[in-house]
Amino acid sequence: MKKSSMTRRLFLLSTGAAATGLIVGCSTAGPKGKGYSAIAGAFEPNSFIQITPDHQVIFYLPSSEMGQGILDGLTTLIAEELRVQPTAIDVRQASLHQDYKNPEMGMQATGGSNATRAQFLPLRQAAADTAAAIRNAAAKQLDQPLDKILLADGNVVVGDKSYGFGDFVAVAALMPVPENSPLRSPAQFDQIGRERPRLDALDKSTGTAEFGIDAEVENLYRAAVVRSPVLGAALESFDASAALKQSGVVDVVQIKSGVAVVAQSYWQARKAATSLELKWEKTELGSWSSESIYKNFTDSLNDSSQKGLECCNEGEGDKLLNQSETMVAADYYAPYLAHATMEPLNCTVAVEGDSCKIYVGTQSVQVSAGAAVYYGDFDADKVKMHPAFLGGGFGRRSLGDDVAEAVAIAKQSGRNIQLVWSREDDMSNDFYRPAALVRMQAGVSKQGLIETWAVRRVGPNIMGHMVDAWLEVLAPDYLNKGFTDWLSKLGHPLFNRFVADASNGDGIYGDYDTPNKAVRHVTQDPGLRTGFWRSVGHSSNAFFKESFIDELAQRAGIDELQFRLANMKNNPRLTEATELVAAKAGWGKPLPEGHFHGLATHSSFGSAVAQIAEVSIKGTQIIVHKVTAAIHCGMVVNPEIVRDQVEGGIMYGLTAALYGEITLVDGVVQQSNFHNYPMLRMADAPEVEVHIVESQEHPEGVGEPGLPPLAPAVANAVFKASGQRLRDLPLRLG
Amino acid sequence: MINFQLNNSPVEVDIDPDTPLLWVVRDHFKLKGSKFGCGMGLCGACTMHLNGEAVRTCTLPISAVQGAVITSIEGLGTPDNLHPLQQAWVEHSVPQCGYCQSGQLMSASALLAKNPNPSDDDIVTAMNGNICRCGTYSKIKSAIKSVSKSGAAAMRNKESMVETFDPATANLKREANS
Repeated sequence: MKKSSMTRRLFLLSTGAAATGLIVGCSTAGPKGKGYSAIAGAFEPNSFIQITPDHQVIFYLPSSEMGQGILDGLTTLIAEELRVQPTAIDVRQASLHQDYKNPEMGMQATGGSNATRAQFLPLRQAAADTAAAIRNAAAKQLDQPLDKILLADGNVVVGDKSYGFGDFVAVAALMPVPENSPLRSPAQFDQIGRERPRLDALDKSTGTAEFGIDAEVENLYRAAVVRSPVLGAALESFDASAALKQSGVVDVVQIKSGVAVVAQSYWQARKAATSLELKWEKTELGSWSSESIYKNFTDSLNDSSQKGLECCNEGEGDKLLNQSETMVAADYYAPYLAHATMEPLNCTVAVEGDSCKIYVGTQSVQVSAGAAVYYGDFDADKVKMHPAFLGGGFGRRSLGDDVAEAVAIAKQSGRNIQLVWSREDDMSNDFYRPAALVRMQAGVSKQGLIETWAVRRVGPNIMGHMVDAWLEVLAPDYLNKGFTDWLSKLGHPLFNRFVADASNGDGIYGDYDTPNKAVRHVTQDPGLRTGFWRSVGHSSNAFFKESFIDELAQRAGIDELQFRLANMKNNPRLTEATELVAAKAGWGKPLPEGHFHGLATHSSFGSAVAQIAEVSIKGTQIIVHKVTAAIHCGMVVNPEIVRDQVEGGIMYGLTAALYGEITLVDGVVQQSNFHNYPMLRMADAPEVEVHIVESQEHPEGVGEPGLPPLAPAVANAVFKASGQRLRDLPLRLG
Repeated sequence: MINFQLNNSPVEVDIDPDTPLLWVVRDHFKLKGSKFGCGMGLCGACTMHLNGEAVRTCTLPISAVQGAVITSIEGLGTPDNLHPLQQAWVEHSVPQCGYCQSGQLMSASALLAKNPNPSDDDIVTAMNGNICRCGTYSKIKSAIKSVSKSGAAAMRNKESMVETFDPATANLKREANS
């Protein structure tokens, strides 16, 4: 099975840390025993399930729900094996505990589109064992043979009698919990694969779903932080005298990232923050602007003495490039991007003596708890996490920087506080999708087969910036705090020297049969921090790869669909998705006047996705009318959610393809809100049709794979419509 | 002191007059369904009804609300007594992360109250100020259309569906999961 890039990133993080004499452990594994608080009289077979005497099944959701539908998906797995309706289960977001670690990642985190894949068997096993325990208890209590005890629709059925699960919890609690109970077979599934509105739709349609920003505690003050215009610069000095005189302001405190104003209301804090006077030290990033960064990338791309690091080398590498019938070369560029989650970062902290409660929407309860321990100087067992729904994650809510700020403010001001970032804070203090400049080269045979595939890539790494962000919060207790702080400051420049972030190579060489491949990455990093952005390396690499494949096909004079199929004979999933989308969209069939099709195919996070964009041009405006998509993601838990995620990936990808660009002037991010970092709106949203390839294979990712093929599908259609090959993102017609 | 109607109840508040209505409703009256997204009226997550019109409350100072009738998502319908649009939202499985959906519903309900059978263009015009980062636009459109076709929106007296809101009892209900 293909490992997610998150796994590889974590692996590299831990190997990198090991290389410097560290083992990244976990200072905040959570309490011993079960992961939840006991309920009197309840049956508590494992950390995922509780069954109360009044028949309520409670499921503790180990992954973060950020829109991707994992609440629905994982609850469905429990429902399937426990023979309960999913709607009858009380689902609660799990707090910090080692039992909730993602089995693929080894930490309690949600990302890399792997939550269903990684937990498909373990969670079903937990539920199947629970079901077996209830049956055993019923058999004993009712003095009936086990084969007469059936579970159906949340009840224990014995002949013509029916009992609630709660009737047997007392006996079940006294008996051993069975292990390795048989799982239901796909032929028996009546919940998995069923079409059903998602379970959290009601809460999210009535304003009752609780996001991090909705937390309320007693005596809560609100905080706003002013940070350096050049990200990461240290504070030289500040004058808070004017701010302290403002209405409602109770405190001004300095924290690592800047200066926080604490006031009775958010509005008071936000207003007073504008009257802070701050001086910042100069940093290297302050000497960079988008033009100089691009020039630096270009110089590096053309300077063959900069060898860079190897991401892939197969067969003869790039040695035979010039021996093919045709050699094609082209340079492509993708810019920095911001995540722009709808819910700006926020965190609420209640301090009670030497302990604290943290209310936050986070992709990693573990990272967030680690941030509270480190930056609030709390003992690990004194931090109580209250995870909430996430108003979008997309990789942004995996860093713990929100918690780090909030605990420091609460601790210093001695108050319960809620920190809310403004949209401007969010836009200019992101961990950005890294920019990349890429030279694609390929040798193609007379028959249109790719013989050599060579990529030279220039841009920042992500991994080093993750070290900066994560090292303190994931480092084990026994390490001296000053040491981890020092090491983390070395972060990205240190790691850039000897580690090529796996995400740089993700998806840029794997899909086609080419015998000879060489991919190298030259790290050039002006210092703007980078992070995981929905589909990570695939988000730009698919654009490079799939635009370039169209160029190869066109140079060879072969239909773009046929060219791809001929070169992906060893990629059955992608072939199936590609053939399905071609049939559904009517590839090669007549379109309305002025409309053109563009195709792109890409595998990521274990799944294969093919998309066909129908595009027309009006002046210099690119109009995307429709996107047809096909996904092969193995077995499907809820088709409704798979389609939603692919469609969501298309919309997120289209925002990036048409508008997305973060630019710098003297190190300062120029985008601040939705007027200059626009989002796709309803008027420009294309019709989307998603088809799912039937499969009984193990489930794979769906949260991210819908995104990567979108930009190249549109760019390939734009070429057909305009004759212009757009090799830079965002797509702009000249 | 500012007086206004919030979800059918008279309320009064003594607060800095330039405080946006959004923060008054969220943090003073503890109604958390309306969301903060941009603070510039660009994303629509904060949308409420002011005298029946959809407005962005992150930029609307409380001083401008004196004497007005305000409806937030909590006044549109409740889990036990859904507005037809909320019912449609659930049936169409519209939300993903869900953060923008209160605002989407308030814009959609203001549209249908005025125009029970909107065209596609009418829907886009009314909804274009509401951003959904998860990209649920096509489902929002379908859900609105399903309600407009059945004519259910025109019909039910909106007032009868508003749950009486008493700020005195609207207290801290949230002690998140333990």
